[in-house]
Amino acid sequence: MQVSNTIDCNGLSPAPTLLRIMQALVGRDDCGAPLNVLVGSDCNCDRLAASLGPLAGDVQLSHNIRQFASIN
Amino acid sequence: MLEDPAKESSETHRRYANTPETPDFAFDPEDPWTQTFQEGLARADLRGKTVYEVGVGTGINVAFILRNCGAARVYGSDLDPRLVVLAESNLRSLSPQHAAYFEPVHGSVSLIDTDAARAKIDKTDVVIACIPQVGEPSDERLTAFREAQSVKLAKGAEDEAEDHIAHYYPWSLFDEYPYNSVGLGLNEALMRRVRQQAPHAQLVMNFGCRIGTEIICECFEANGYKPEKIASKIVLQHAGTDISFFVTLEKALSGTNLEKQLVCKFYSDPDGKKPLSATEAQNLIDMDPEVALYHEVAVIRGIPITN
Ligand SMILES: C[S@@+](CC[C@H](N)C(=O)[O-])C[C@H]1O[C@@H](n2cnc3c(N)ncnc32)[C@H](O)[C@@H]1O
Repeated sequence: MQVSNTIDCNGLSPAPTLLRIMQALVGRDDCGAPLNVLVGSDCNCDRLAASLGPLAGDVQLSHNIRQFASIN
Repeated sequence: MLEDPAKESSETHRRYANTPETPDFAFDPEDPWTQTFQEGLARADLRGKTVYEVGVGTGINVAFILRNCGAARVYGSDLDPRLVVLAESNLRSLSPQHAAYFEPVHGSVSLIDTDAARAKIDKTDVVIACIPQVGEPSDERLTAFREAQSVKLAKGAEDEAEDHIAHYYPWSLFDEYPYNSVGLGLNEALMRRVRQQAPHAQLVMNFGCRIGTEIICECFEANGYKPEKIASKIVLQHAGTDISFFVTLEKALSGTNLEKQLVCKFYSDPDGKKPLSATEAQNLIDMDPEVALYHEVAVIRGIPITN
């Protein structure tokens, strides 16, 4: 199952954002690198991370796609 | 003489015999989904407009909008290449005087993804569609997600009926679209294509609102359209239809503090007064597979937002 390492959640409210992250994590080969998640400017990343619970460690949330290039 | 859409009524429905040929591979136009769609189309101000239907099925809507809504011209295509041929022949028998106003795009056309389709979209005022909102039950990634939530597929859900593609879409293929997470990937893909190809065109789309109309409206807004609900009906959920996708969404959200933000909407009564979550609906189905359950079908018009 091939899943991209960056997913776009821009424009999504918190519930579908969370679902999209969970769906991407399930279909992903364990490549060690975190899943990059692009979120909208109004997304509260701390709250989203709390909702993700233990899965939060597998993702990197950012408002800016350029940030991912500097991490990975 | 064309009917005035303002005078469109059940009277109009009675005067014309709407009985298109419907082979097994075509979506049944007697279905309340199509009736709801036509109520919306009658209210969508189509008089004099050029309309493109994505997913024409039997062609019943093509006949309806030419005959009853006064559309000037209709284009149409379908993923199943047999259907556009069927639509042409049904229009010739249902409303021969309008046959010349239908310009089909032949072949298998997914959304508007051929040059011929895009050329017609360039000349279109209103794009209409009622296309699938549930991922293929056999989709590998969707299956993995469902199994991760320990949700079972209904018995027989993986068997493909002749009109399978009228109900399900290849979920993983549309994963680049954010609203794919709630089953709107194919619809969102259409919104984006139309917005890019014909930025001034309106959309009129028919939805089963089991995930709630709020999130569907959110999808329109995120893609640059102001949504407006123009028709709505509570319809019977087909007995035997698999609702595991909706149960999976609810289960995935449980314990996250976001569970109240997306509760699927089923009803135990035909008036839509007694709501049930998907999980509650599934429990009732497990006790009695024939139980009558209902959900809303709504037609949403999207007006392009201009900056
Ligand atoms: C629910 S039926 C609706 C048929 C008809 N428009 C009606 O309202 O009665 C969905 C239709 O969309 C077509 N379809 C499914 N996926 C499609 C796609 N990716 N592109 C175009 N049409 C598609 C199906 O073949 C089917 O005819």
